[in-house]
Amino acid sequence: MRALSEFFLPVFIIAVLAIGFFCRVNVYDSFVTGAREGVKLVLSVFPYICAVLIATELFSVSGMSAALTDLLAPLFRFLGIPEQLCELVIVRPLSGNGSLAVLEKLIAEYGADSYIARCGSVIVGASETVFYVCTVYVSTTKVHKLRYALPVSLFCTLLGAVVSCLLCTLM
Amino acid sequence: MNGVFFVMMFSSLVMTIFVSPSQAFPAMIDGASGAIALSLKLCAIYAIWLSVLDIMNKVGMSKALGRACSPLTRKLFKGEDGETLDLITLNFTANFLGMGGAATPLGIKAMERMQDGTPRATDNMILFLVINATSIQLIPATVVGLRAAAGSASPGDIILPSLLATSVATVVGVAIVKALSAKKTRKKPSPPAPLKGARFE
Repeated sequence: MRALSEFFLPVFIIAVLAIGFFCRVNVYDSFVTGAREGVKLVLSVFPYICAVLIATELFSVSGMSAALTDLLAPLFRFLGIPEQLCELVIVRPLSGNGSLAVLEKLIAEYGADSYIARCGSVIVGASETVFYVCTVYVSTTKVHKLRYALPVSLFCTLLGAVVSCLLCTLM
Repeated sequence: MNGVFFVMMFSSLVMTIFVSPSQAFPAMIDGASGAIALSLKLCAIYAIWLSVLDIMNKVGMSKALGRACSPLTRKLFKGEDGETLDLITLNFTANFLGMGGAATPLGIKAMERMQDGTPRATDNMILFLVINATSIQLIPATVVGLRAAAGSASPGDIILPSLLATSVATVVGVAIVKALSAKKTRKKPSPPAPLKGARFE
């Protein structure tokens, strides 16, 4: 499985490059254009990433995320999410790197094939950094009222975590 | 987002005053430097994927893929034009295959085309956000890699449960968004055919 996904990227790019070249597309121009657009895109997205990362960093350093974890632990236990995974479930929608760090810690502490580590892996693998997605995707639009997008996304992420824990007890 | 941001910043800063006031400013700088590092990396990733996308657009590959999936995307994103649906399809495909870096610029372009000029997100934009925010990845390669590195006996055994869990989350998300947007449409005074009307907006 892993070997397959490793091959996929280079093969895909080779295919696009070759098809482009033989269809007489100036592939060199395409790469110059792409790089130029990439810079423009990052410039417009950066301010939003910066604001979100300042907030999430403060949130974890200040101990607010730990406090929230303690607060929500009973609810999570009720939903079938083990106590050890509460932090991960809280951090997951806020920070991609943060949740990977928490997962690594869990794997190191409980062993890669333990229930906790498997559960944690599934939770991370089956979800996204909700706040990042909601910020970056609207960053170049005029929209700043997301209406129900954030609550629905967060609810579904929690649902995904509950299902993950359930599946790991069965599979 | 403004409210969420304010609550996060305010509560965290108040908390640091009680716990460790000296850490507040360094933490904010850490966050901002993290954003700079991430943006540099994203710039590199976008440069490559936007180039590949440019070639795909010029030879018509993106259109072909978009058309192949249009029965589904057309139904989900009522009222969007062909090019937007192509972008949506490409974004989903890239996400599905785990090419998050490729998916983001496509998604941003699709979102730009879906807005209606008001500061409120349209129902289609929310649907798109929810689908992206609930992840639709086929193989969570990073996590599998982490497990393999930690010496797991079968690092790949999380692939199937992940796929099931993410499918449940995404399907429920789509259902909720559809239910919420349908409720709103029904409540409107009564334009003769609300969905058809939306198509010409």
